Amino acid sequence: MSVYRHEYRAYTGKLTPLWTRVRVVARYALGEAWSSRITVGLFTFSMLPVVVYLIGIFLANNALARVLVMQGNGVLEVNSGYFLRVLSTQCWFAVVMTAWIAPRLVSFDLADNALPILLSHPISRFRFVLGKFIALFLCLSLVTWVPGLLLFAYQGYSCSKPWMGANLRIVTGLLLGALLWIGFLSMLGLALSSWVKWRTVAIGVIFAAVFVPAGVGGIITAILRTRWGYLLNLPVMMTQLWQRFLGAPPTMRDDMRLPTSAIALVLATVCLICVAMLNARIRAREVVRG
Amino acid sequence: MNTEAVSARVKSILVQPWGFWWLQMRRLVRIELRRNLFSRKAAWIYFLAFIPTAVILIHVLHDTHPASGLSLDTNVLAGIVQFYYIRLGVFFGCLGIFSRLVRGEMIERSLHFYLLSPVRREILLLAKFAAGSISALLLFGSAVIAAFAFLYAAYGTAGLDYVFHGPGLGQLGAYLLIVTLGCLGYGAVFLLLSMMFRNPMPAAMLVMGWEAINPVLPSLLQKISVASYLRHLMPITVPGEGVFALLTVETEPVAGWVACLGLLTLIVIVLAYSCFRIRRLEIRYTTE
Repeated sequence: MSVYRHEYRAYTGKLTPLWTRVRVVARYALGEAWSSRITVGLFTFSMLPVVVYLIGIFLANNALARVLVMQGNGVLEVNSGYFLRVLSTQCWFAVVMTAWIAPRLVSFDLADNALPILLSHPISRFRFVLGKFIALFLCLSLVTWVPGLLLFAYQGYSCSKPWMGANLRIVTGLLLGALLWIGFLSMLGLALSSWVKWRTVAIGVIFAAVFVPAGVGGIITAILRTRWGYLLNLPVMMTQLWQRFLGAPPTMRDDMRLPTSAIALVLATVCLICVAMLNARIRAREVVRG
Repeated sequence: MNTEAVSARVKSILVQPWGFWWLQMRRLVRIELRRNLFSRKAAWIYFLAFIPTAVILIHVLHDTHPASGLSLDTNVLAGIVQFYYIRLGVFFGCLGIFSRLVRGEMIERSLHFYLLSPVRREILLLAKFAAGSISALLLFGSAVIAAFAFLYAAYGTAGLDYVFHGPGLGQLGAYLLIVTLGCLGYGAVFLLLSMMFRNPMPAAMLVMGWEAINPVLPSLLQKISVASYLRHLMPITVPGEGVFALLTVETEPVAGWVACLGLLTLIVIVLAYSCFRIRRLEIRYTTE
């Protein structure tokens, strides 16, 4: 069909601000993430430990309840170690949430060759990924630092002594540790999901990416008799980092502890690799086989 | 009457085209083996299997090996088999290999070619299982043998003495048996899961969680696990560390043959149920 009308002009009306375009991607990604009943189930399940920790704080601050429930046995102290346990538990639930949600955000677009259509809209590749990142980050926030801060606030409220002011390091450590972890997980989840075409496989790959290097790191530590193998062991590495953030007593021997700079370097390197992976995969191209 | 029925049944079994089925199975196994072992997508399984061997090789080339270090390295090797191969390497390797056999073909929309060909579905399933098992065994078995050989070769005469005149060969046999049963056990479970669920990964992760918390469960529940049977076959048991060591429920030691029989029974039951499921398998590519 010949085009004989030449009246087309560039759009001169009001443009949508750039930041709201990211918000559109994030909003749809959030909708996609929460459209699954399994996401809701996982979120509910991840709140169960929070309820247990809440009861723990209640018992620690209520002498009568402590006598009735624990019959005076044992001392329940809410301190940096307690909040380290809160942070660790919730952060491992965040891994499960990432493995479920991240592939939903990316794999569908890649598998259905939808990226060319999506990126033909006035949104850059960076903002597209940023929108997905924000959605995943918000989902993970709901299971990590949000309940952590609520528990901290409840402890401050229910403690008879002035507690919050004296323990500000706990709340800053908790917030910083959780933000660092969920930022890292969001990058890792999106990058791995973008490289695996099938969502089913992507879930397994995300789990494997967390746990298999941990095993390899353990082997390196044991065989080569060096602590540096732990740099591949995310659970050990992050636990050490969280302990330092919260000021909790270390659980590992001094000669097995990793310097904070080395941990930061590993996390930064992995994030850079993830950025490179996303840069390579999130492109407006269509793969046609046949 | 009863004897006649039994003999008729036996006769009907004997007249089945076993030779033809065997031929079909061999052909299917060959196709699947090529895809499992020699495709680019299979590279990560080589990584999973051989990464401990590579670390041990670095140890052999880089470090010194006084005879006093032999017992420590023996314990480390036991730890690698117990914690790495069983919990991670074989687990994720089998998850990748066996869930691809049926579900992967559905995602690639190629399973209907098999289902439309004149092959009994049970033959198809068993051939796929055999091919997956052979692939996993070849990779993980050879990785364990290589790791064992490198580790003890580094100790020279002391190492050879330990292997050929000490408990070394017995330990290698036990490790190979553990890896074999692990591959078969996890393989059967993941093959079934890939037929039962459109997305078998959540179920597989539940299996992983179950296997991880299994040592802290009551002894009766410990029997519903692949790793618990394999634990009884370990020639050297490496205790868990941290909170798990405190929570671990010590079960009665089980004889090796009982553990093997228990796991083989589990595998046969899972495979029989898988054969039953594949008879009723329907493909709806639109929902994949």
